[in-house]
Amino acid sequence: MAEYVVEMRDIVKDFPGLRANDHITLQLKKGEVHALLGENGAGKSTLMSILFGLYRADEGQILVKGKEVQITNPNVANELGIGMVHQHFKLVHNFTVTENIVLGLEPRRGVTMDLKSAAARIAELSRQYGLEVDPNAKIEEISVGMQQRVEILKMLYRDAEVLIFDEPTAVLTPMEIRELIAIMKNLISEGKSIILITHKLKEIKEVADRCTIIRRGRHIATVDVAATSEQEMAEMMVGHEISFVIDKEEKTPGDPVLQIEDLSVKNSHGSLGLRDFSLTVRGGAIVGIAGVDGNGQSELVEAITGLRRAEKGKILLNGEEITHETIARRIRRGVSHIPEDRQKRGLVLDYTVEENMVLEVYGQRPFSKHGLLNKRAIHDYAARIADDYDVRAGEGVLSRAGSLSGGNQQKAIIGREIEKQPVLLIAVQPTRGLDVGSIEYIHKRIVEQRNLGRAVLLVSLELDEVLQLSDRIVAINAGQVIGEVLAKDTDENEVGLMMAGVGKDGGGVER
Amino acid sequence: MKKILATVLAICIGMSMLAGCGSQQGSETPSAPADSAAQSEAPAEQPADKPALKVGMVCNAKTIDDKSFNQATWAGITRAAEDFGIETKYLIAADQSAAGFLQEIANLYDAGFRMIITPGYTFSKAIFDAQKIYPDCKFVILDSAPQDDGAEAPEIAANTAAIDYAAQESGFVAGFACALQLKEGEFGALFGQEIPPTKLFKTGFQQGVIYANENFGTNIKMKEENFVWSGSFSDAALGQQITAQLFNSGCNLVYCACGTTALGGFNEAKARAEKGEEVWVVGCDVDQYEDGLLEDGRSVTLTSTMKNLANSTYDMIKAELDGEFVGGQQIIFDAKNGGVGIPETNPNLSDEVQKEADAVLEKIKTGEIVVSAEPTDVSAYN
Amino acid sequence: MKILVSVISILLGFVAGALLMLSSGANPLTGFSYLFQGGLKSVTRICNTIAYAVPLMLTGLSVTFAFKTGLFNIGAPGQMLIGGLLANVLALTAGLPRPLLLPLVIAASIVGGMVWAAVPGFLKARFNVNEVVSCIMMNWVAYWVVYIVISDHFKSTTIDTESQVIPAAASLKTEAITLLTKGSNLNLGIFIAIIATALVIFILNRTVLGYEMKAVGFNRFAAEYGGINVQKNAVLAMVISGALSGLAGLTFYCGYLSNMRIGVMPSQGFDGIAVALLANCAPVGVVFAAIFFAILQTGKGFMNAMMPIPPEIADTIIATVIYFAATSKLIEMNLDRIKKFFGRKRPSKSEGSGEHVEHH
Repeated sequence: MAEYVVEMRDIVKDFPGLRANDHITLQLKKGEVHALLGENGAGKSTLMSILFGLYRADEGQILVKGKEVQITNPNVANELGIGMVHQHFKLVHNFTVTENIVLGLEPRRGVTMDLKSAAARIAELSRQYGLEVDPNAKIEEISVGMQQRVEILKMLYRDAEVLIFDEPTAVLTPMEIRELIAIMKNLISEGKSIILITHKLKEIKEVADRCTIIRRGRHIATVDVAATSEQEMAEMMVGHEISFVIDKEEKTPGDPVLQIEDLSVKNSHGSLGLRDFSLTVRGGAIVGIAGVDGNGQSELVEAITGLRRAEKGKILLNGEEITHETIARRIRRGVSHIPEDRQKRGLVLDYTVEENMVLEVYGQRPFSKHGLLNKRAIHDYAARIADDYDVRAGEGVLSRAGSLSGGNQQKAIIGREIEKQPVLLIAVQPTRGLDVGSIEYIHKRIVEQRNLGRAVLLVSLELDEVLQLSDRIVAINAGQVIGEVLAKDTDENEVGLMMAGVGKDGGGVER
Repeated sequence: MKKILATVLAICIGMSMLAGCGSQQGSETPSAPADSAAQSEAPAEQPADKPALKVGMVCNAKTIDDKSFNQATWAGITRAAEDFGIETKYLIAADQSAAGFLQEIANLYDAGFRMIITPGYTFSKAIFDAQKIYPDCKFVILDSAPQDDGAEAPEIAANTAAIDYAAQESGFVAGFACALQLKEGEFGALFGQEIPPTKLFKTGFQQGVIYANENFGTNIKMKEENFVWSGSFSDAALGQQITAQLFNSGCNLVYCACGTTALGGFNEAKARAEKGEEVWVVGCDVDQYEDGLLEDGRSVTLTSTMKNLANSTYDMIKAELDGEFVGGQQIIFDAKNGGVGIPETNPNLSDEVQKEADAVLEKIKTGEIVVSAEPTDVSAYN
Repeated sequence: MKILVSVISILLGFVAGALLMLSSGANPLTGFSYLFQGGLKSVTRICNTIAYAVPLMLTGLSVTFAFKTGLFNIGAPGQMLIGGLLANVLALTAGLPRPLLLPLVIAASIVGGMVWAAVPGFLKARFNVNEVVSCIMMNWVAYWVVYIVISDHFKSTTIDTESQVIPAAASLKTEAITLLTKGSNLNLGIFIAIIATALVIFILNRTVLGYEMKAVGFNRFAAEYGGINVQKNAVLAMVISGALSGLAGLTFYCGYLSNMRIGVMPSQGFDGIAVALLANCAPVGVVFAAIFFAILQTGKGFMNAMMPIPPEIADTIIATVIYFAATSKLIEMNLDRIKKFFGRKRPSKSEGSGEHVEHH
């Protein structure tokens, strides 16, 4: 019996202009949770895609239970007992759980499908591993956490011995995360082995036995999790020291930059998503909007940037009303916006990085003159941003934006928005889905803007982030201001209560 | 990447080499054309032993079985092929314009065809050009004559026979026969685009009905607005729609003379007849009795206004083979020489009516009845 | 890489066509040899092929341009008709000398195409009406407008279904080219097509306008975010696309032909879609794809005349080739698999799309 159920030795994988994996070794023991830790773009997904048969390695060997194998496609991986729970679920929404699980290996009885016995087996597996999934529920009717369990069941149904979890907690609520960790422990106790791809150190600490850390395609170390601190792992991941504390100098807020008065905005369903909302953001201050998702944050931001029409109320920038101006005019006035969805709003994924860097300023000199683009100026400008903001891509600024990792896409956007020398910087979920190294970097940049005297409006669903960065915190609930506090005078509990709709001082707002 | 490109290239080269071989084989076969005969170059001199005649045809529609002009012409050609063992071929122009037709004529010529038959007025410009470019090739243009764009009169070269039909005469006989058979009711018509041959059919048909009303006491009404120009020869759905409107407005007979569009009219009549309505249609160009067949074996086709394209085509081929081809002039096919008329047998016409119709045809032949080619005023028969 | 996709599509088309020929008892190699001979075997035939390709190039460009901004201009036939109609009407009525008349005729065709395309563009921008539906409707409006205008005012004296022939002064045909190419249909249209191609490339790659349009086409949300007026761009893109189709009408009705026929929807308008697809929406590719289509169309008749197969089969063969050629998107999607097929014998080092690094 071999020591390892899966062993990847000296894996090398090249993409044009980029070595994604440079002699990486990963050894998975039977019955362990093995974490794979690395920044975005470090090569985690590539390595796992090789194990799952989506890519083929240029060099190196893969051994399963001590025997060398050629994994040419995902079917081979399945046959070898390797299953993958993808970050984005691959489920048919109007099918039942059972139908989704048997998809591809439908049990037959004559010419009809035998779903009954399949459902029985799924129910049995579900009980065995404590998954509590109803085999007859429709996917569209169950929660995201349940959908993930269906993905897990899919693997178990196919008798997978090794399960790869790709960023499994990114889409889950804290409660669901706790349940998932319990499920993983069940799986291990039933003899399965798990590879956990993540960059969340807390979870690694909680569930993993060992951890392999890779950085920029290279194998850095494989450590025993119990004997290694979060700080140590984080530093191995990013390659330098990390400070979790943000260095924020004391600063007296300046004149009001953004003033919002009694603003009402309709949401996409046609009802008022934001009601009589008032807010002031001063120069040299970060105002954080804290709230549960869908309580009017998007409507607020889109009304300020001009993406959505204001039904009522006023928006003033430096004292001048911009309520009904075009988006382009607002951009020219100095409104910068780091959008919530970087792939939908923030970037034209089919454009190159350099083309994206002038998305809002292409019409201004020196980037264009008399309607003609100045490619040289665009290139130089973009190259400088990429350089200053450490945007890494295979072919530099000529890479397609869609080919960049999420962290690099976000850095590019932040660079672009800050380089415009904004009067007002609106940052929405600026670190969503990013790793520790990137988060630290982005936070520093945002605070830097505040220190330069610019007004910053921060909208985030991560309470930690709001608390850490903001000078003032405004809690939003059901499209209304529910309370406003100074960050240094408050804590998680107070803001958490406000987010849930319990106003401070009966909901009064001080300006 | 390089390897794939190399593979693709290898396949390309391989294919082109094989294709090259193929073309060599092709040019060795006796039927192949003189190699470099481009459409404007002077054709090579005819060798002493004249090769067997190859007769080609270019269609003016997208299909050969249009139950009309193209089909009838092709029928004449195939009959000649059976009788004389000549090689034949028809081509469908990719682009139905003078330039497109000329291209197909060039294709036939380059493939060794020395007699080319074209049905219909759309070929007048193409044949006008072709008769000059290919003086050693015989051209037959049916129901029209070669004419330059914007020219006042046709110009028929010695190698071209232009065949014209006195369509108004067959229209007259049909209109007369229908009026006599039905005695009462109202007639309408479904036409395509407003072209001279159809206009002749129309006026002849109306004159025939009037002749019956005045001399045989029939009571057939006609309204000018019920003689509809649909604008299309190829839109069966449109034809069906217009025919339905005509029947709904009180017509009991619709004269359908517009190629594929007419088939829509036939379908409407058949659908109504199956439900027990008494409605009739009249076909055009060829005997369209078969197109009107119902499930029980009856037909809604009362009769058809025919141009005997098959016969004319056959005659021209025979003449060429016998060395008696007459070019350079308009050849008129009318009642006298059996070029136009109605079918010999019309199961839906009573023997009596058939007899009277034959008598009328005879009178046209002798000149006792003269059918005018000018438009007819039907306002007296509303 | 994109070229590879198109080449594979074409080869697959020929393979499918070859199977059809085999099944009707003909030798495919001989057949395809005749096909290319028919399109290319003499100066005249080559020039006729190019002349046939010119309107296709312009409609292909038209469709490509609209595609780039995320719009599907299926209205090229109608835009061709109106562009051609305005050009013809002006040519027949203006009575000016050639140096004045020709530029005016060209301008008229551009205006015609623009106006006809502006309507769906406006409806799309203002009321979010699907441009495919409105384009198809505009095609039929154009069809009947041409029908009525020509049959009421410009009917030929000889053929009732055609318009009067335009004076030589207004035609793109020149005696010099006609003589030089031994009587082919080639005309000044080829220069118009080349200039148009260059202009389209310039607009798309070098101008602010092109930058905005492509941004809207790729991701209208990001374009909106960047301050680009998405609605204005939809109208503008359709207008430029329409201008190109209008020019296609000019080269067809005042160059390849010398008049218009009523009751005919120009097939070049629809073929432009296939040309654009085969070219993968690359403007230079459109030029070559159009020539390829033209070879098929002009060579078909000769192949047919030389082979013992009926024209219906020949049409089916050509349609099959076109069908496969236009499914290049499918080929692109399966490119990896195709590459594996070709590279199976030796494990290749250079697999992988090269684009996917890591998404989170």
